[in-house]
Amino acid sequence: MGLLLDSLQSAFLLLISFDPELLVIVGVSLKVSIVSTLIAAVAGVPAGFFIAHSRFIGKRFVLTCLNTLLALPTVVIGLVVYSFISRRGILGPLDLLYTQNAIIIGQVILIVPLITSLTIAAISRIDNRYRKTALTLGATHVQMALVIIREARFGICAAIIAAFGRVIAEVGISMMLGGNARGFTRTMTTAMALEYDKGEFVLAVALGLTLMTIAFAVNMLFHFFQGRTRVDVV
Amino acid sequence: MLYELNDVVREYKGRVALNIPHLEIEAGKIYTLIGPNGAGKTTLLNLFAFLDQANSGDLRFVGESVSYSAKQLLALRRRVVLLDQYPILFTGPVWKNVEFGLKIRGMGKAERQQRVLEVLDLVGMQSFVDADAHKLSGGESKRVALARALALRPEVLLCDEPGANVDKENQEIILSILSRINGTEKTSVIFSTHYLAQGRRLADHTLMLEHGMLSTMVNENIYRALVIRREGGRAECQLAGRLLLSLPEDMIDRDIKDFKLQIDPEGIVYAPERNGQEGNNIITGHVEQLNQDRGRVLIGLDLGVKLFFFLPMAEYLKQPPAIGSKVTVALPDRSFRCSSM
Repeated sequence: MGLLLDSLQSAFLLLISFDPELLVIVGVSLKVSIVSTLIAAVAGVPAGFFIAHSRFIGKRFVLTCLNTLLALPTVVIGLVVYSFISRRGILGPLDLLYTQNAIIIGQVILIVPLITSLTIAAISRIDNRYRKTALTLGATHVQMALVIIREARFGICAAIIAAFGRVIAEVGISMMLGGNARGFTRTMTTAMALEYDKGEFVLAVALGLTLMTIAFAVNMLFHFFQGRTRVDVV
Repeated sequence: MLYELNDVVREYKGRVALNIPHLEIEAGKIYTLIGPNGAGKTTLLNLFAFLDQANSGDLRFVGESVSYSAKQLLALRRRVVLLDQYPILFTGPVWKNVEFGLKIRGMGKAERQQRVLEVLDLVGMQSFVDADAHKLSGGESKRVALARALALRPEVLLCDEPGANVDKENQEIILSILSRINGTEKTSVIFSTHYLAQGRRLADHTLMLEHGMLSTMVNENIYRALVIRREGGRAECQLAGRLLLSLPEDMIDRDIKDFKLQIDPEGIVYAPERNGQEGNNIITGHVEQLNQDRGRVLIGLDLGVKLFFFLPMAEYLKQPPAIGSKVTVALPDRSFRCSSM
């Protein structure tokens, strides 16, 4: 108990002193998580709209695959991406391994299925009359899609926030593809794992507190958007 | 011709929802589609709005065959607007809803604003210009949706049950607007309704639909009938378990006991003693409903079942029956039509 209290006290002092190493780690974490979330959103939201709004052979199979991918362990993604970007892999010459870009690639693969699935759910809840109304008022298919995305915007925002929460807290991909290089690919989660291995709890606890604060803020946003969606449906 | 349909068939999962061998719709007129639920009214309106495609047949719009290419569809849809039975408004203020169609057509902001106020004024909703569209009542939503359609000044305004789901006051407002824009803007109007009197009061032409097909019979006076006995070339039938009628036996197949009977409201003879009508099916009931219908009066009679018939205005004025008064009518054989259930 004493160890935890001492660690908490030291961690708090570290946080309020704006320790440079801590700030770098938090900065790297936020950067890779934000970039991977944005890339996944650009791919996942239109894909979700397309799947929700079109009829094609094998749609049920695609939905099953997406749901399966939601349970994909981060270490599996780490292994697969590693096999592509390691020196012997087909993308080896690009020198991506142990870079922030490698982490971003892995994280994008992790959350594209999540954003796509949640976008499908959000779009499917939107009344079909929006589509019909937009078309009869003279909208093109793109304008009609924008109307529907606008009506489903709270659900889509919630999907993106959930995806951000997933990547900022993951450790497998960051460790395997980033390599936990100090000041470069060291994220909050990999740093915490390292400090734990070293038996140094102070930085680990400080990072844990920061991560929890970010997670709390993200969840607040998530619930805010979910609440708005529910009101809309009613 | 505004629309011309030839051998148009629309099926849903193997069930024929619409089957129209030939139909022509004139421009600049008001048409009403009358029929019970599932008659194919909404399906036909969706075809007219180019929101749906027939499985077979030819649909022509202003003389041109509709090919359903993406480019042609967009151009056609921008000439026609469909007002849904339960219209949905986009999230945001009323003005943003009304200007939607204008904005996507690239109209300038000042012109848009002016048009929005103009049409909201036309539907009596100008004071709601900044209101949240999702906080309006059913009638108000319908009027805003009508304004949103009218803002586009379409060549054709299609309305699916404009009087449904709104109170009497809003119903009258909506119907009078349809009549007004047809008069002033020469907009062709096609609207569907369950109510014969409402449709005929407003429309130049009435199209009756039943089971997806155009029908010459109105959808009123349709009953389930049961053959009680057959005797001397006549079949005694009971309607809805109440009214007994005598029908020519050859109208009903030998092996049929349970069938659907339609009685043409145009064929019913009022006050048969005055008109020299004799024979079967002379019955007396109480007047329950009176409606004016373009030079005629539609009378609803309580005979244990409700029976409607038309009376020319001149005849009605000779001795106007009042609500509750007793009236005798004759149902000649020519007014009956039998079909299977």
